[in-house]
Amino acid sequence: MSDDKIIKDPITGVETTGHVWDDDLREFNNPLPSWWLWAFYATFVFSIVYWVWFPSWPSNLFDKGFSVGIKEITYKSDAGKEITTHWNTRALLAHEMQNDELELKRQSMVKKVAATSFEKMAADKDMSQFTRAYGKTIFGDYCAPCHQAGGEGIVGFYPNLVDDGWLWGSDLADMETTIRKGRKGNMPAHKDSLTSVELTQVSNYILSLSETPANADAATAGKDIFATKGCAGCHMPDATGMKALGSANLTDKVWTQADVHGAKTPEEKVEAIRAVVSSGFQREMPAWESRLSDDEIKVLVAYIKLLAE
Amino acid sequence: MTHSTGSKAEQYNYDIVKKFAIMALFWGLAGMTAGTYIASELAWPFLNFDIAQITFGRLRPLHTSGVIFGFGGNALFATSFYIVQRTCHVRLWGGKLLPELTFWGWNIAIALGGIGYVMGITQAREYAEPEWYVDILITLVWVIYFLIYTMTLVKRKVQHIYVANWFFMSFILATALLHIFNNLAVPVSFTGTKSYSLFAGAQDAMTQWWYGHNAVGFFLTAAFLGMMYYFVPKQAGRPVYSYRLSIVHFWALSFMYMWVGTHHLHWTAIPDWTSSLAAAFSILLLMPSWGGMINGIMTLSGAWDKLRSDPIMMFLITSLSFYGMSTFEGPMMALKSVNALSHYTDWTVGHVHSGALGWVAMVSFGSFYHMIPKVWNTTLYSVTLVYVHFFLATIGILLYITALWVSGIGQGLMLRAFDEYGNLKYTFIDTVLFMHGPLVARAIAGMFFVTGLLVMIYNITKTISQANKPVKSNATAQA
Repeated sequence: MSDDKIIKDPITGVETTGHVWDDDLREFNNPLPSWWLWAFYATFVFSIVYWVWFPSWPSNLFDKGFSVGIKEITYKSDAGKEITTHWNTRALLAHEMQNDELELKRQSMVKKVAATSFEKMAADKDMSQFTRAYGKTIFGDYCAPCHQAGGEGIVGFYPNLVDDGWLWGSDLADMETTIRKGRKGNMPAHKDSLTSVELTQVSNYILSLSETPANADAATAGKDIFATKGCAGCHMPDATGMKALGSANLTDKVWTQADVHGAKTPEEKVEAIRAVVSSGFQREMPAWESRLSDDEIKVLVAYIKLLAE
Repeated sequence: MTHSTGSKAEQYNYDIVKKFAIMALFWGLAGMTAGTYIASELAWPFLNFDIAQITFGRLRPLHTSGVIFGFGGNALFATSFYIVQRTCHVRLWGGKLLPELTFWGWNIAIALGGIGYVMGITQAREYAEPEWYVDILITLVWVIYFLIYTMTLVKRKVQHIYVANWFFMSFILATALLHIFNNLAVPVSFTGTKSYSLFAGAQDAMTQWWYGHNAVGFFLTAAFLGMMYYFVPKQAGRPVYSYRLSIVHFWALSFMYMWVGTHHLHWTAIPDWTSSLAAAFSILLLMPSWGGMINGIMTLSGAWDKLRSDPIMMFLITSLSFYGMSTFEGPMMALKSVNALSHYTDWTVGHVHSGALGWVAMVSFGSFYHMIPKVWNTTLYSVTLVYVHFFLATIGILLYITALWVSGIGQGLMLRAFDEYGNLKYTFIDTVLFMHGPLVARAIAGMFFVTGLLVMIYNITKTISQANKPVKSNATAQA
């Protein structure tokens, strides 16, 4: 073709290859930029070193790995045997868990806390600080999504862990059982067993139990309903609740389901209680023993106890 | 230079180029709007409105497929069909029917896939989410595409095959290979949508990332380099900087890319040597990638003044700069020790977008501003609006990647911080709270980018309608 000729660029003085496409599309015959070429060679050197340093061949071809002696890792197997091998992620993890200074410190603190009584731990500045720090991350990752970061819970959904009310018991063994096995709470609905008037009356009574102003006449009538129509069976005749069932103490000012503190007037407070008595509810705390280690549970219980105090 | 434009319009099949170009802009708007919406969901979760169909998990593949295959795919069909004709000096092979089949097949496949995602139909393979029936349609389209492209090259009237076509051919071949092997699956029934992959466990993970990273390598890099190799010298009016560099970096790039996918799986339950190998090859990939950037940017030597006066050139050269930056960042992130910090954080997402917005979208915008007036035989409606688009897009990208550097590196550092006792210093939710600010900035960055695209669509619509006007008045006169 007539276009097919090498031309010399007036600006740079470089010649083109002589190929021409689409009227004016040409290529210069520039050599490879030398900095590019040397950088390319440098990446080869880097890659070969990397290749050996982090072995890039199937290691079973070389028994223990050809990089032993160049970059090797020593760790102890579960059986206590010392193993030296080529660099690999599993050995690296084992090595760091067995040798990292901070990790060793953490492990010894966990063991110490797990073997110490709560009272002694709480009295020891170092151990209680550790429990707060470790517990905060366990609590933050597993508990906070429901019970909130500060443990304050959400009324109507998730119990508050920093007030004085404990549905399932507040001693260490009870708390541990709650975390290990989980809990299922069930308040039956009473809209079919109680009339509308009765619901209002018993709600006034419940409100009055915690020395909160309520309609006195209705509360008096409600007392009888409370005793005879099913409430006292779970909440006990004195309305202080029953740990085995997780039924709430109605005489304190702790409200986990009815938002009594959020309601302004006595009428609204009664209405909040009435809705719960009428419809009932079910709540579930999941079991954690398959997801948390014994030590983690122990620290978590201590952390929540510290949180509540 | 334009003395034969009229005859070129008759000599070449421009109709198919126009169709693909318009659909590229359509899917671009749809995909980027979806992206901006899900970015906003991450910043302001109430935007989920408790509707399953519009949650992040459903819309995210809509966004990625929309921009990669909808916008990117249609843009590649348009430009590759334009380039192969103009550099082979022959009309597109396959008559009217075969190119038409690729157009309808490709766009129907994307629409079918997208409808499936919203309904929850997915094979959960990243960037290959469509189920088996869409995969088969894509395979058919791709075989036709391969035939059209190869046969056009075979029929060419010039002796040498232009460099852009090498890149497009490697893109077509590699994509076929990747698509077919990654999607090998057994449908539960031929009347149902569900299928099961042929691969399992670590092999499945490695197949997915062999596909995933080479989709980046051959779809989003090699093919767009093909686009660059035509439009940069054309727009600059200068010859390509170095023929030799184009040969060396083409073969090096094609060879190196295939090995690196496993760097997406560092520190997971795969054989260590496979991830070391991927890291080593990722470093080897740096200079071959930069070869394209050097060849593109150096093509402008002797015409640097165009960077001040030509907004199309600004798009093209900026895209090469982002290409260079992200192909440097990529190999660094592929090193195991860096990856230990970056993996699973927004740094990865930011890196992808510096490539996707900065390189892929910007080079496509620049190429379209050059090509669309040519195929419609007119001039751009407004050059000022091209400047506006350029600055909106560039601000958007810079804000985007900066926000996600902060979010990603910040979260990475928080997740590995220990207190004096060796306890983790932060809970996961602490890191999420920290990310809120950057995620808001990222959503705003997306809005900048989409606004820029809207300006482009307005400009292109005006350009096309002004091109069609005289034709219409002629038709009326004849009637």
